[in-house]
Amino acid sequence: MSGPVLEVRGLRKSFAGVRAVDGAAFSVRAGSITGLIGPNGSGKSTAVDCISGFQRADAGQVLLDGADLRGLTPQRIARRGLTRTFQDVRVYEGYDLLQNLLVVAQPFVGVGWGGELLRSAGYRRARVAAEARARELIELVGLTRLVEAPAAVLSYGQKKLLAFAGAMMSAPRLVVLDEPVAGVNPTRINEVAEIVRRANAGGTAFLIIEHNVEFITGLCEHVVVLDRGAKLAEGPPHQVHQDPRVLEAYLGVEAVA
Amino acid sequence: MRLALPVALVLLVALPWLTASTYIMGIAVSGVLMTVAAAALNLVYGFAGLLSFAAIGFWGVGAYCAAITVMDWGGSFWSGVALAGLVNGVLALAIGVPMLRTRRHAFVVVSITFALLCALVSRDWTAVTRGPMGIPGLPAPSAFGYVFAGSARFWFVALGFSVLALALLHALGTSRIGLVLKAIKQNEPLAQSQGISPLPYKLLAFVVGAVVTGMAGGVMAFHLGVVDPLIFDFYYMQTFLIIVIIGGAGSFWGVLAAGLAMVVLPEALRASNDLRMVIYGGVLVVAMLAMPRGVAGWLEDRRVAVLRAKLR
Ligand SMILES: Nc1ncnc2c1ncn2[C@@H]1O[C@H](COP(=O)(O)OP(=O)(O)OP(=O)(O)O)[C@@H](O)[C@H]1O
Ligand SMILES: [Mg+2]
Repeated sequence: MSGPVLEVRGLRKSFAGVRAVDGAAFSVRAGSITGLIGPNGSGKSTAVDCISGFQRADAGQVLLDGADLRGLTPQRIARRGLTRTFQDVRVYEGYDLLQNLLVVAQPFVGVGWGGELLRSAGYRRARVAAEARARELIELVGLTRLVEAPAAVLSYGQKKLLAFAGAMMSAPRLVVLDEPVAGVNPTRINEVAEIVRRANAGGTAFLIIEHNVEFITGLCEHVVVLDRGAKLAEGPPHQVHQDPRVLEAYLGVEAVA
Repeated sequence: MRLALPVALVLLVALPWLTASTYIMGIAVSGVLMTVAAAALNLVYGFAGLLSFAAIGFWGVGAYCAAITVMDWGGSFWSGVALAGLVNGVLALAIGVPMLRTRRHAFVVVSITFALLCALVSRDWTAVTRGPMGIPGLPAPSAFGYVFAGSARFWFVALGFSVLALALLHALGTSRIGLVLKAIKQNEPLAQSQGISPLPYKLLAFVVGAVVTGMAGGVMAFHLGVVDPLIFDFYYMQTFLIIVIIGGAGSFWGVLAAGLAMVVLPEALRASNDLRMVIYGGVLVVAMLAMPRGVAGWLEDRRVAVLRAKLR
């Protein structure tokens, strides 16, 4: 058993009195695929924003490989090996797929602006390696046919796949996916699961937020349930989905809908 | 297409032999200098997404720096233009750091305030700027005993400077720095999630833009032969902006083409100086309605539409 790659302790975040995250605590084992589920508005995305540095938590601790991430900017956290995707899918619409992935900073760390401007040997080496990795990832997510198309022409699901490839580009230790298959053509959901599995085999850990029960059950070894900003339950997916407290939390919110 | 650039360059170099009119040469000189300033604004606005009206401030500050270097400190034209770049670089660094920490709209307002403040200082700090009278009688620059007197000769100074400045802006725009700048403009949080720090990139664009604009202003001063508070006239800012917007913000060649077109157009339409501003404004409004992303943006949109149709 390896230790946790991510540890979240007593995380709190309020927006003008709304307690979005209220003492959430959980961890992600290194190399694992962990699920983070919960009813709408239970604070999952807000927790991800706090973990990845996009929101400043009111209280609590986030440890990446044991190191406190407090006060770090999103870009610093990304460079330390924690990347994420966004629930509202984000890509560079005006860039083609290759350009989308070549933006990622990691392959060019240490080159410097001078090297980039003058196309130094170090820059060219980094660029060749980055392009090779980008093409590999585009192949992995099955978009090779579209590699030269502007991202604007991609379907919603294809954009999610491109965003996923972007999060993988820096070979991170942990990738947080916020609803990777919401809005994706149902016939393609199994493919996405397979892509995650393959990336996970390369050693990358995943924390996955998703409402699609089948997707989570098929993929995750461990699931954390959030309700009203706090952890309600955790365990293997089939066990969690039978937990009466979990059923009640979902029914309480969704039975009405 | 590949021949277009060398042919254009040869034609530009040969311009004084193609026309005997000093009037046309004068238009050409201010035209290339304003195109350079527009290309610099394109780096700041088109690439970094910063709608900055500070450009007109840097343009004027550069003009004063170059003029004062020559008239009060006994320096050469060349050192004056270099100093214009240096002063503007330091100035942009100093105001850029706090400005870039403000929100989008606040940034625009602060940049306008800076431009107005520059004009105010040029009028009231008479000890240095000589106030509303300005600094007249700027001499023609010279190098190795050759004096670039008259628009036909000054043309080579303006063209040489412009080619160098545009080459720098082109290298920057096509480098990874340009790629990252436009990525930040398209989706800043996404860039951050990919390890990019937006602030240093924006600051770089802002400072380089200021240096190039300031140096262009410095050269412009010696073309006009006089620097006074009118160098801060919003007519210049309006021209830079129109060139960028019509050419297509973020497109180097689009802006370059629009720069050349906008030099020819107002001269063709020239009825009176007052009417020119109105015509400019009219062109801007019509262009914005028809092609909100400029000619280059309009072409790109067509390309995407065709691709989309193919993928259906
Ligand atoms: N920027 C914000 N300002 C104010 N309230 C917010 C903000 N972001 C989130 N909230 C509120 O915080 C609560 C938690 O929202 P969050 O988006 O984290 O939930 P979620 O679990 O991701 O939901 P979903 O499954 O619908 O994506 C909600 O009540 C939401 O309205
Ligand atoms: Mg959410």
